[in-house]
Amino acid sequence: MKKLVFLLTVAVAAGLLFVGCSGKKEQTAAADMPSFDPEKEYVVSIGAYGDLEKAYKAVMDTDDFKSTFPNVTVEFQTADFGGHHSRLTTVLAAGEATNDIEALEVGYIAKFVEGGGLTDLAAAPYNGVEVGKNIVDFAMSNATTSDGALVAMPVDIAPAVLFYRQSLVDEAGVSLENLESWDEFIEVGKKLVADRDGDGETDQFAIPNANEVAMTPLAGGKGGWFQDGKPLEPKEKFTKALTVVKKIREAGIDGDLGAWTGPWTQSFADGTVAATINGAWFGGALKTWIATDLSGDWRATRLPGDTLAALGGTYLSIPAEVPDEQKAVAWELIKYLTTSSNAQLTTFETIDAFPALTTVFDDPIMNEPVEYFGGQKVRQLYAEIAREIPNAAVSEYDAAILSVFGNAITDVLVNDASVEESYQTALNSVLAIAD
Amino acid sequence: MVETGKRIAPYVFISPFLILFAVFGLFPILYSITISFFKWTLAGPQDFRGIQNYISLLTTDPFFIGSLKTTFILLVFGSLLQHVFAIPLAIVLNDQKVKGRGFFKIMYFLPYITSTVVIALVFNQLYEQNYGWFNFIIENWLGLEGVKWIQNPGAIKASIAIMVNWRFIGWNTIIYLAGLQAIDKVLYEAAEIDGATGFRKHWHVTVPLLLPIIFFAVSMSIIGGMQLFEEPFVLMKGYETMGGPSNAGLTSAYYLLGTGFNFNRFGKASAIAWILFAIIMAMTWMNKVVTDRLQR
Repeated sequence: MKKLVFLLTVAVAAGLLFVGCSGKKEQTAAADMPSFDPEKEYVVSIGAYGDLEKAYKAVMDTDDFKSTFPNVTVEFQTADFGGHHSRLTTVLAAGEATNDIEALEVGYIAKFVEGGGLTDLAAAPYNGVEVGKNIVDFAMSNATTSDGALVAMPVDIAPAVLFYRQSLVDEAGVSLENLESWDEFIEVGKKLVADRDGDGETDQFAIPNANEVAMTPLAGGKGGWFQDGKPLEPKEKFTKALTVVKKIREAGIDGDLGAWTGPWTQSFADGTVAATINGAWFGGALKTWIATDLSGDWRATRLPGDTLAALGGTYLSIPAEVPDEQKAVAWELIKYLTTSSNAQLTTFETIDAFPALTTVFDDPIMNEPVEYFGGQKVRQLYAEIAREIPNAAVSEYDAAILSVFGNAITDVLVNDASVEESYQTALNSVLAIAD
Repeated sequence: MVETGKRIAPYVFISPFLILFAVFGLFPILYSITISFFKWTLAGPQDFRGIQNYISLLTTDPFFIGSLKTTFILLVFGSLLQHVFAIPLAIVLNDQKVKGRGFFKIMYFLPYITSTVVIALVFNQLYEQNYGWFNFIIENWLGLEGVKWIQNPGAIKASIAIMVNWRFIGWNTIIYLAGLQAIDKVLYEAAEIDGATGFRKHWHVTVPLLLPIIFFAVSMSIIGGMQLFEEPFVLMKGYETMGGPSNAGLTSAYYLLGTGFNFNRFGKASAIAWILFAIIMAMTWMNKVVTDRLQR
């Protein structure tokens, strides 16, 4: 026993010594940073997920990119959404080599914002705040830590809108335009519920699932969970979100379909749902694979009560462990992808990822009628909303709070918990984990 | 010179394993003790906390205490319940009169070697509330109300326990079958001469002789059960849900990984790992004491 205690003590002492000696890489001073040399050959690796690779490859095929970066070769390490982010967490935690540029989805940004491991792009020589002055405010704010470090640059955003099918809305004799509140939405929604085949069972709902509304009153749930250091404050903001969700379920206007399940995906094409709430990117998904036959029938409008939210979005970051020379070229690429209209518009055209750069909102393409949406100028709508979305401060606890609040929503929806009860449970849990 | 060479030769032979084990096994294990004394995020150590991580986990953290309860419930109804099914199943499969024993053995063992991803896909379909097969049977054939398998806290635990039982009963059956085949048939014949039949024969011959195997299998179940992660993780769809409503599916190992890789609290996660280690050691030791006493 004595021997064991001795061995453990030695092991811990050695560990502490190791901790003391190892220390993470400090950010190099601006003056010592090598600068990007256009004449030099560079190979840059980008860690991406989903179809980002497709979009950025399209950008890199453009003449503008080729003439700007004649000597830069880009390699991709693409994985599925979850796989990409868990790999990134693991390598950052271990201080291991990463790709020179790593993409982050907005849902994960908070985790890395305060968690560390990424280069502060607000500092010289990057001066990211100045570089990103034309990028929508809320997205820049989402990537900024409480002490002003900018850990990533927003490349695309997803203003949330209400998508609906004109034909089904007309059939019900209602309108989903300019709804003043969620209560009004629920009233209109009731008229969209129908039993089309007359078998006694409802087969048409207003929306697929009440929980898709849950995060929108909270500006998408990305940040804004704290007020003056207190979690889940102001209370009304959160209880209101839970109340809306509960009311929708009680009104019976949602189909209780789990997101991304077969029946859910199908519901947009087969008339099971008349409307849905999602980020702008979902319009692209409807058009390209979910409801390809319904061209001209879908529309997009502002959320009820003029709720402003973002549901999705991508950021580009440079991990702290990347060698300084690579950081220089990585930053040039990020600047190009996030602030050049060529890159922003090419990305938009390729994968429908809505630009974060406000200067391209005035490009003629953004004002074009979109055939799939019955000739509606949806891009103008997205741009208007994007400009109005309020800033929200993110914190290192956001991922945990999102989990807790997500369960509060399920409790209200499925397990008949009261709004007050769920709020309190969520608050207690948050207080316990925020250390 | 030769003497020295002879003396060190064995160590040289075992060194490839030892070096690799020291670097990739022993070092991380011991280093995690150090990590557990810190607030440790993605950016490395933040503050030294001493045993504060351990204290707050055991006293104030509702997730950890809840996850321990869930783990114990699932240990009983998921991991230990298996043995109640596996032993009789092994006895039946060991009976020479049963036809197609090879086929049944393969069938029972199949779930154990099936990929968790496939299992997750299949069980998610079975448990789906509106379109799932289980609810289809419950609603249409039995005329009862459908169960919210992966939404209602009680049902979540049942769903996980069913999945764990389904997955590991076959594995335990095969272990017991191997144990049964080592029991001399003469003993059964002797018991028959003494007038023992069916159940009594197994109660007085099979069970006592199977005790060492039961100890092994139960120990494995305790270790596996206390580390239960994959099943609840895939069923509840990842770290983000933290085991679903009321954290009903949040086992300790699930919370450990979530704390580390979702919340970036590696110090706290390491502390959870060591607390779990202590609990598993204690339970395995208790299991040994009980089996030793029974064997006497």
